Amino acid sequence: MGGHDAGSQHQFTGIAKYFNSYTIIGRRNCVLATYASIAAIVLFFKLKPKKQAAVTEK
Amino acid sequence: MILSLFDQFMSPTLLGVPLIGLALTLPWVLFFQPGARWLNNRLMTLQAMFMNWFVKQIFQPMSLGGHKWAALLMSLMLFLITLNMLGLLPYTFTPTTQLSLNMAFAVPLWLATVIIGMRNQPTHALGHLLPEGTPTALIPVLIVIETISLFIRPLALGVRLTANLTAGHLLIQLIATAAFVLFPMMPSIAILTSILLFLLTLLEIAVAMIQAYVFVLLLSLYLQENV
Repeated sequence: MGGHDAGSQHQFTGIAKYFNSYTIIGRRNCVLATYASIAAIVLFFKLKPKKQAAVTEK
Repeated sequence: MILSLFDQFMSPTLLGVPLIGLALTLPWVLFFQPGARWLNNRLMTLQAMFMNWFVKQIFQPMSLGGHKWAALLMSLMLFLITLNMLGLLPYTFTPTTQLSLNMAFAVPLWLATVIIGMRNQPTHALGHLLPEGTPTALIPVLIVIETISLFIRPLALGVRLTANLTAGHLLIQLIATAAFVLFPMMPSIAILTSILLFLLTLLEIAVAMIQAYVFVLLLSLYLQENV
């Protein structure tokens, strides 16, 4: 396992400043973003209204 | 009474009273107690030497916060090694062949290490779920893989101990039965089988000690990551 990275030698700009796989903060944010995305996908499919079949008159 | 191969792994009962409690508590009386004298006897000294060596081995690479686990991991090691070794005696029951017992040790202790990590250093604990330097395209995949491997750990811990001990005991029973059955028919083959049984027993003694050590070592490594 690699040692803790102070991140001082990496100069990130833009979104890479918060989401990268080099600094510990970047890695943490990537993990949280991935978990949030998975939770959002699961919630989307759970809460999606089911289409009801049209009831035909006899 | 016809015994199947797996009857040795059945939790023992006497007239409907479960004896598993006795099987778990009686091994503790085998340990040497310090006497009232200033200097201990040889056996107590040997036991203390083993305990000191083990604690140093496990806790030297660990930071100070993890040292409070020393008593817990030391007693767990003694317990597992005693149960494993006593189980190698004929007609004894080995509680560590029961998955329920091993999972009861593995899951709470692993969960404790994870909760300690999340409480004390949540950034590091979460950040370690993504290896450093991962290419951007692989980040979500690797996070999922690392999360799965995190949750597999207690399962692996419990099943490793159970499977090793169960397999060893089964092999001993199989080869011993073979040697016993072959003796009237082919004595020379029976002697070879008995030699194999002797070597297997030596192996099982080693496995009994190693598996107890590996269980505790892995728990200490999980603690090291999180403390």
